Amino acid sequence: MGSETQNAPEAHVAVDEIPLAQPFSILITVCDNTDVGEMRVDALMPAHQHDLNYTPKVTALGDGLFRVDNMLFHMPGLWELQVDVGFGDRSVSYTSNVMLK
Amino acid sequence: MKVLVTTALFVLTDAARAEVLLSEDHIQQTLPFGPWPPSFQSDPSNRVSNDTRAIALGAALFNDPVLSVDGAFSCASCHDPEQAFTTFEARALGRVLLDRNSPSLRNLAGLRWYGWGGKSDSLWAASLHPIIEEQEMAHSKESLKTAISESSYIDEFEAMFGDIQTQDPELVLVNTAKTLSAYLETLATDRTQFDDFRDALERRDLAMAANYPEPAQRGLQLFLGRGKCVLCHNGPGFSNNEFHDAGVPYFLSETGVDEGRFGGLNFLLSSAYTLDSEWSDDPDKQGAWVVRSVRRSHSDFGTFRTPSLRGVAETAPYMHDGSLIDLEAVIRHYSEIDTERLHVDGEAILSELNLTEQEVADLAAFLVSLSKAP
Ligand code: HEC
Ligand code: HEC
Repeated sequence: MGSETQNAPEAHVAVDEIPLAQPFSILITVCDNTDVGEMRVDALMPAHQHDLNYTPKVTALGDGLFRVDNMLFHMPGLWELQVDVGFGDRSVSYTSNVMLK
Repeated sequence: MKVLVTTALFVLTDAARAEVLLSEDHIQQTLPFGPWPPSFQSDPSNRVSNDTRAIALGAALFNDPVLSVDGAFSCASCHDPEQAFTTFEARALGRVLLDRNSPSLRNLAGLRWYGWGGKSDSLWAASLHPIIEEQEMAHSKESLKTAISESSYIDEFEAMFGDIQTQDPELVLVNTAKTLSAYLETLATDRTQFDDFRDALERRDLAMAANYPEPAQRGLQLFLGRGKCVLCHNGPGFSNNEFHDAGVPYFLSETGVDEGRFGGLNFLLSSAYTLDSEWSDDPDKQGAWVVRSVRRSHSDFGTFRTPSLRGVAETAPYMHDGSLIDLEAVIRHYSEIDTERLHVDGEAILSELNLTEQEVADLAAFLVSLSKAP
């Protein structure tokens, strides 16, 4: 995932095929030696000015691995996944584009 | 001689004319509209889902005025099995003229939301509310319990749920709704001309697919392309089951408005009958994430659930208020949509399509093919 923050720890997102208008889950890994704190996940469609209709549920699995459930993309098109991660007292934002057919 | 040759050529081109007009990209976008019918999954929140006794009892109750306090209505009064489980009235006539059009009750199994504003998250809850709604069946829990006890259905009811006298009136209400839901789950639209086309595309049987009329194919191209209809009307049921503003006015009078999704969510979040409640029979509460995590937003105001388009040709008039009398009127509505009327903070999706007469006819042919027997 991309971040505007300099020297942001690397973050990777793993997704299987995304079903349209049905719930799905993703896994996010954050590679950092220091403590990875809270994670907040959202997504929006830049073309239509709307975000998700349901708040995703984030579960920390330990070792920088997070499981995100209740993701639901209710329209085909370009979605921007937004992930905020807390590292100690700073927070880093990541984004990743997902094209849903 | 010369004349003969020309005739032969003409016949040849005519036979070759039936073809698949869709690009590969559009073929790929067509496949998710199926397969049809979808595989049936019983509702874990309803312990009598898919139970033949419950389906039979639900069907009988649906058609019987015993479910209204004074015998004035049955569910079928507004959802007439002879009229695709709706009526021709623009707005349903209950004890007063209601604000909304009666939806057809087909293809409802397993949806995330029910009602134009999504006030229910299960089919049994959507079947329960009209029983106690004052402007509809107007029963109280107590009067319903008495009515069922004294009805000819009491033996079937007790065979499934046990002695009614030991049941709290609220439990009787929920049990009754669950038999109605078991019945409604069995109502589905048949396969259509469109489904044969879609399946032929999946098999790559283009000769077979070419039997699908060209006007309907051109209509489908518009549906996927310039019309952007697929943004909301997608999946095998042609609905994303979420809430949008399709530019239908939501003013009821000079002062009143239909709050749409905004009101639906208020109702849901104060309802005792959600998938997160004790009335769900699912120990894992699988569907409860929806009511737990749904977000409220100011732009919910005046949005309505995207209706399914399967069997749509049989269910005029259209829209939440029944204000558009036929499919052509709906297409012209989208073609001439007044973007000033769309919510300022809404999604920027719909815009005037300015369709030609030919395009209006093509889109109509496509929509009708979603109801036509193969
Ligand atoms: C007076 C007319 C009327 C009667 C009687 C009536 N309904 Fe309805 N029904 C409606 C209307 C109007 C709606 C749409 C309500 C809304 O969106 O708020 C509706 C919606 C529904 C829905 C949701 C459908 C969907 O697409 O989400 C179900 C299920 C339903 N009714 C079942 C029943 C059952 C079961 C009964 C009998 C107990 C019944 N209705 C009696 C008018 C009626
Ligand atoms: C932004 C999402 C969206 C798009 C795009 C969209 N629709 Fe709709 N459609 C809806 C909603 C929401 C309704 C119900 C609106 C209401 O009742 O206020 C609806 C209603 C309908 C109905 C009436 C169904 C009924 O049972 O009342 C038809 C037919 C229809 N749309 C066809 C189309 C076609 C054709 C297109 C493309 C030209 C299209 N829609 C584009 C969301 C959408």
